Amino acid sequence: MKNFLAFIAVLVLGYMIVVSLDNNEAFPAYGEADVSSRVSQAFIDRTVTEDPGDIIFGQATNLESGPANIVTAIVADYRSFDTLGEVTVLFVSSLGVALLLGGKKQKRLELNFHPNFMLRVGSRALFGIILMTGVYIAIHGHLTPGGGFPGGAMIASSMLLLYLADDEFRAKIKGFKMLESFAGTAYVLIGLTGLLLGGYFLENLLDNGVIGDLFSAGIIPIVYVLIGLKVGSEISGIIDNFLTEEGV
Amino acid sequence: MSAILLIAVPLLAAFISILFKKYAHYILVFVSFASVFALEYMDLGTITVGGFNAPFGIVLILDDYSLIALYIVNTLFFLVAILNCNEFKKVGSIMLVALAGLNGLLLTGDLFNLFVFLEVAGIAAYLITTTNKKPLATFNYLIQGTVGSSLYLLGLILLYAMFGTLNMADMASSIASSGYGAGVTAFPFLLMFIGFGVEAKLLPFNSWTKGILANSNRLTGPMIASVYAAAIGFVFGRLLTNVFVIEDTFLIIVTIILIFSVVAGEAMAYASTKVREILLYSSVAQAALVVVVFMSGFTGWAVYLIIGNAAAKLVLFLITNTATKQLGNDDVETFKGLFVNNKIIGLSFTAVTLSVIGLPMFLGFVTKMNILENMFVSGDYIWPAIILITSVVEGIYFIRLLLNLWYKENDLPEVKFEFVLKYVVVIIALLIMVFGVYTEPVQESADDLVAYSYIEGGNL
Repeated sequence: MKNFLAFIAVLVLGYMIVVSLDNNEAFPAYGEADVSSRVSQAFIDRTVTEDPGDIIFGQATNLESGPANIVTAIVADYRSFDTLGEVTVLFVSSLGVALLLGGKKQKRLELNFHPNFMLRVGSRALFGIILMTGVYIAIHGHLTPGGGFPGGAMIASSMLLLYLADDEFRAKIKGFKMLESFAGTAYVLIGLTGLLLGGYFLENLLDNGVIGDLFSAGIIPIVYVLIGLKVGSEISGIIDNFLTEEGV
Repeated sequence: MSAILLIAVPLLAAFISILFKKYAHYILVFVSFASVFALEYMDLGTITVGGFNAPFGIVLILDDYSLIALYIVNTLFFLVAILNCNEFKKVGSIMLVALAGLNGLLLTGDLFNLFVFLEVAGIAAYLITTTNKKPLATFNYLIQGTVGSSLYLLGLILLYAMFGTLNMADMASSIASSGYGAGVTAFPFLLMFIGFGVEAKLLPFNSWTKGILANSNRLTGPMIASVYAAAIGFVFGRLLTNVFVIEDTFLIIVTIILIFSVVAGEAMAYASTKVREILLYSSVAQAALVVVVFMSGFTGWAVYLIIGNAAAKLVLFLITNTATKQLGNDDVETFKGLFVNNKIIGLSFTAVTLSVIGLPMFLGFVTKMNILENMFVSGDYIWPAIILITSVVEGIYFIRLLLNLWYKENDLPEVKFEFVLKYVVVIIALLIMVFGVYTEPVQESADDLVAYSYIEGGNL
């Protein structure tokens, strides 16, 4: 009975979606939205504060927002405050996992196979490569697709590899905690510096440089590296919490 | 001082506190006290984040409305924190994040930023409720809360597709100037309404409430029923008065939901035999009533309804949960005669309960009376009738409860209340009585807030 009611509820919701959006004069069909009247057009042209004219990759300087990657410009510059919020969401989730699963005396969960020598050595070699790719993605977040969150997840996946390939491996969780705390604190402090010196929280105070250079976009690469470190250490901490149990 | 500090400082403290776990609860008490104190020095106005003006960047709005909301929520949060900091040391860092999330919810002037803070505050709330030691109830809350906020997000995506902006004021003026009927935005607003309905405990989206509040402890009861309820009420009010267009079909659906919530909430409270269940169902009805008053446009009185209810639920849940912990369960039978030996606590409990019912001499009366008056003046007769009938039901079950708690000959339950708790409870009860008799400031400030209308172009 309960399942049937749920089914009815889903049908009603689906019907309402179709009815309300079909022939809805305000809801544009796919690809037909008038982008020029939306806030996103200003993000793409970088015309929120002043009109810089045409932006040429590798030449334009002193834009209001420096990243060559438009997604990064929106996520980490125009709407950086949301990103701080998202970082907090992950932070509080990892705190929760630690609260629920982290006891005092912990030992590794046992794998139901014993990893052989080749697997252990091979995974350590791979670990470095994956880690470096993660770091690369985080550092180049303002130029290429990627950024702090995917980079951090990749860093954590290199930790996961070590945990899965070696049944005796345990990372130093204390170090992760320090890193997590440091990165979060630094992010907020960068924001507060902007408030103190520029008048706006999270204002980009550094020089934006030439669009497309590695050293450009002011604080954004710094923030993205911090986010990468934070996400990486948080997810690694979560992995450790899931792969350990309260021992005797 | 910039109001962004109310979000940034708790967050900074949370990030630092994970290194000093033993002192996290001291940091919490200090930061929550500091944020109440700092409110005195905040400048009213629009706070631009990142240097990009609205509607392009994110703005925080600190007007009279959000200032009142911040005072109430931060004060209640501080009281809950200081009363529980020694017993629940483990959740210190999480409470700091919760404080940042709640302040963000109250301040933000951006619809997507609102979603982010809804998530932050929500996840912190799920984790705080794990101290109930009822994992299944918390899991229910987690699932329903997440589905709720996803529905809010879906509604927001549809609105963004239509109007291409996320700023609240810009959204409202784009909708108004677009010239479309209310029909085009009804569905996204309904989704957002349901999303908030989950957090605001409106029926039928509130089945998590019973599992959480009926098993609550001294931390979670006041936290969810008072602090979170007040914050969600204020944010809901902001959306209802400034953003939502409630007309036609949408109005009918919402009205049915609300009537159902008020009536069913009071009826279930009437039928309950456990003290905490009575309180939680009464909260459900009150939450729906708050939404009704906001929708009718009496912002000032809705604010007082939230304040009165949040203060009352703090007192009631604190007393009930302290007693439950010492007595083992919260059946009305067990509680019989509780106040015979605890007269001060009993008097405060009684005063607060009578205020919730809306008897004269208490803040609740002033609020209810003015709401009814305003509704009659504006020609609405259905809601006053419902409010009056449910008030009678409310009166019956609360007075029945009070009689049970006051009268018993022998074999009285032994419960000790500590000094700080007595102090807090008595002060709140006194305030409710003082403003129930001396009504002028309440009347004036509420009438001022009625005139409050939405913000032009995202800036004050």
